Amino acid sequence: MNKLIRLNILLISIAILGIAPSSWAYSEPDSLKELVAEKQLPPVSERLPSEPSVVTLEGERTPGRYGGTLRLLMGKKKDIRLMTVYSYARLVAFDQDLEMKPDILLDFDVKDGRVFTFTLRKGHRWSDGEPFTSEAFRYYWEDVLNNEELHPFGLPRELVVDGQPPVFTVIDDQTIRYEWDVPNPFLLPALAAPRPLYLYAPGHYLQQFHARYNDPEVIAAKVEEAGTRNWAGLHHRRNHPYKNDNPALPILQPWVNSTKPPAERYVFKRNPYFHRVDTNGLQLPYIDTVSMQITSSSLVAAKAGAGEADLQGRYIRLDNYTFLKGGEERGDYTLRLWQNGAGSQYALYPNLNSNNPIWRELVRQREFRHALSIGINRHEINQVIYFGLAEATGNTVLPGCNLHTNAYQSSWSYFDLDTANEMLDALGLNQRDNRGIRLMKNGEPLEIILHTAGEGTEETDILELIGESWRKLGIMLYVKASQREVFRERVFSGDAMMAMFNGIDNGMPTGNMSPGEFAPIDQTQLQWPKWGQYFQTRKKVGEAPDIKEAQELLALYYQWSKSEGLEEREAIWHKMLKIYSEEVFSIGLICGVPQPVVVNNHLRNVPKEGLYSWTPTAFFGVYRPDTFWFE
Amino acid sequence: MRDDHYVSEAPFDPQSIEKLSEGQEKFFLASRKKLIWWKLKRHKLAVWSGIILLLMYGSTLISEFISPYNYQSRHTDHIYSPPQRLHFFHEGEFIGPFVYGNDYHLNMDNLKREYTPNPEKVEKIRFFCSGDSYEFWGLVKADFHFFCPAEGKTLFLFGTDRLGRDMFSRIVYGARISLLIGLGGIVVSLFLGLLFGGLAGYYGGWVDSVIQRMTEIIRSFPELPLWMALSAILPVTWSPLLVFFGITVILALLDWTGLARSVRSKLLALREEDYCTAARLMGAPPGRIIKKHLLPGFSSHIIASATLSIPGMILGETALSFLGLGLRPPITSWGVLLNEAQNINVVALYPWLILPVLPVVVIILAFNFFGDGLRDAADPYK
Repeated sequence: MNKLIRLNILLISIAILGIAPSSWAYSEPDSLKELVAEKQLPPVSERLPSEPSVVTLEGERTPGRYGGTLRLLMGKKKDIRLMTVYSYARLVAFDQDLEMKPDILLDFDVKDGRVFTFTLRKGHRWSDGEPFTSEAFRYYWEDVLNNEELHPFGLPRELVVDGQPPVFTVIDDQTIRYEWDVPNPFLLPALAAPRPLYLYAPGHYLQQFHARYNDPEVIAAKVEEAGTRNWAGLHHRRNHPYKNDNPALPILQPWVNSTKPPAERYVFKRNPYFHRVDTNGLQLPYIDTVSMQITSSSLVAAKAGAGEADLQGRYIRLDNYTFLKGGEERGDYTLRLWQNGAGSQYALYPNLNSNNPIWRELVRQREFRHALSIGINRHEINQVIYFGLAEATGNTVLPGCNLHTNAYQSSWSYFDLDTANEMLDALGLNQRDNRGIRLMKNGEPLEIILHTAGEGTEETDILELIGESWRKLGIMLYVKASQREVFRERVFSGDAMMAMFNGIDNGMPTGNMSPGEFAPIDQTQLQWPKWGQYFQTRKKVGEAPDIKEAQELLALYYQWSKSEGLEEREAIWHKMLKIYSEEVFSIGLICGVPQPVVVNNHLRNVPKEGLYSWTPTAFFGVYRPDTFWFE
Repeated sequence: MRDDHYVSEAPFDPQSIEKLSEGQEKFFLASRKKLIWWKLKRHKLAVWSGIILLLMYGSTLISEFISPYNYQSRHTDHIYSPPQRLHFFHEGEFIGPFVYGNDYHLNMDNLKREYTPNPEKVEKIRFFCSGDSYEFWGLVKADFHFFCPAEGKTLFLFGTDRLGRDMFSRIVYGARISLLIGLGGIVVSLFLGLLFGGLAGYYGGWVDSVIQRMTEIIRSFPELPLWMALSAILPVTWSPLLVFFGITVILALLDWTGLARSVRSKLLALREEDYCTAARLMGAPPGRIIKKHLLPGFSSHIIASATLSIPGMILGETALSFLGLGLRPPITSWGVLLNEAQNINVVALYPWLILPVLPVVVIILAFNFFGDGLRDAADPYK
């Protein structure tokens, strides 16, 4: 399946040409003709940059036509941010081969991995028609990032290398440069991420909320009116390009939110100044409006099955497959199976930073984690829940990824109760109570309370199967389900002994992508939240990693961040993957669970097979929904 | 003097004029209990409901014996198997109860597990047989069942769920929890209701006021959020049995107020009766007066209203568990079963998983009819 995808990707990849023929005749989208005739909008040739990004659609993807409304279903109010993910217009962006290409930028140049020169497109405009120039970068750098009140905690992590910020230079209206003394491998991936690092902001709009550009009285009145604590709060509230919650904020994405939250239905209208065109001279996006219906996540499958969505992957799962397949004719859609890009569908995260000292000591012994891992019957989970379509795995990269080896995947991910029992006995857990449950050192029974974000029966079923086989190891498993925010809080604070959550996000990394998911650098890594926090807050809060292997991982991560060239980076990746899979810091279960995707029968250019994952594909993002069209 | 005064030789019968028939005599001399029983017996619906209740509660004593499988035993090869129909005749010939064995096939086109009954496979049900082993009442190990599938075959009268567990067995086991929670809850709430209602009604004054305000406060809380808050307190490490008691107590703690109210008002009325004053003048202590003189005066009412509030408890448990806040797997109640059935797949593809609704409806109706009959019968002198 994987090879097929790669082949597909190769065949149908969108080539983004740098230069468009000068004698281009652009055609006006039908929905904007009236506005142009009324002179409320300049004609399309004036709206486009002088060198737009030209998208070539080949193979099974064909140039299309204007029109239509794309209907999406979402389960939570904050899911409007997914529109930024799906839209996927970035300074630099991954294409379908997962190669980095300039997108909003006309071009970028990297010298020695440390000097980044970005060239903008001449005549590129914000969605409100104002010019998008290096001023946007200057405003964000000078007035936002380096403003004490707006960013009291300093620059974003990706912009600081060895504690040093870059030197920022505006060269001319279209050229800017960020320069470090040492290589910064984080910058480009962060710019291309589903939740991108922003380096620019629409200063012409945001200035009205900025203390530097206004009289104190004017600002005070605005703050008063908005009800925020100070002007910084007001500026923050107005500038959430990722969250999509301010319809007035000019952006560069193909569709612009036109509905002020809160609402049940959000309408995204085409950005008349979007910078991509197809080879026939049609300005992208093809589709005029995207409507996003917010409903309950448990109803998404039902609604999609009734044909209320044109493109839906979120909130539907393999166990909805039969139902959705049955509704294909009625709902006028086709159900496709995409590959899931998560390293492991779910993974167990023993909390190495637990507050319970006995448990902490136990769980920090690798033999204990090994025993837990081989005490899980992954084959049974696969058969019972995934129709035998998946594979057993540790929490590591996916088969089909360049960095994958069978050794990583099968490290401690087989099923062997006898060995597991022997290992537990050897750890001194050989006393048992009258139920046959092993006793910990302090005489308390070995009862694991596992926290989940409890979003469906899939998790509880898996846990039931795991609980049953762990019972044979003399370990009791209790499951506590809670809301995602509460769940995270419990893990972060160390109250949770173990957690269940999705496996690693990026199961298909290349050596150039950050190996950060395998090193303690982020609080949301549920196996070592406090170590991650320690790194994130630059040693202010949290705890320093005090296991040798975790320190090694962190050191390798630093090494990667200073590395140059793919070869060296891949070598570091392999070292990290090896340590991680041997240590089993998190216990992977199953990978290769296909993701059903509902696609309207009239919707064109959606790949038959794709990689559905947050990163690096931004779900549908790298497949460029702006090139989808209705027949 | 003429002796014209006639004296009958016959023995004097003072009741000769209003002679009671044997039936009438029996009626007038009957005890209160008997009267209630007679009246109840005339209420046909109540009688049948009573029988159903008896059967259902009886079944909870021997759930292990009635169900063909253990409620937790999984059948990985029979996930989402639809109910197997019971047959008696095979090709026109009577051979006793049997099912046709299923042929399993995973439809790779829509990933549906398809089961088709195969008329070749006649699988006769065995009776009084040995099957899954269990601990009867948690005490005695046994493997004796009322009926089991044919040797090595399957019998899923109500189908199976997503892990291949027999729904019939799960419903039978679930009855134990769902029904007992009603009874257990009512015992606690009856005790509380009598205690507080009795105190308030007998003493009156500030005691009454305090208790009245307390019940008002409790009643003014919206029920569901309060249940949810209380059930969230139950620690996750509690064994399912403890959680069960916890939920029972939670339901009872919120339910006693209604009962306390009616006890109080009855007591307020009765304590003004002459026999009560007499008892007090003779120096009887309050406890004795309440117990001996007042309570018997309205015990039948209490029984009737208690019966009527059991379904409330059962529904309460079902609702809590349905919302995922009450009992938790592995303990199984009807609410837990329904909780697992709330998604579109079940409605569209596996409708038999909604079957636990049936016993809930039946038991609630039965309790209501029975309670109704009991209330009518409770005051036989009317």
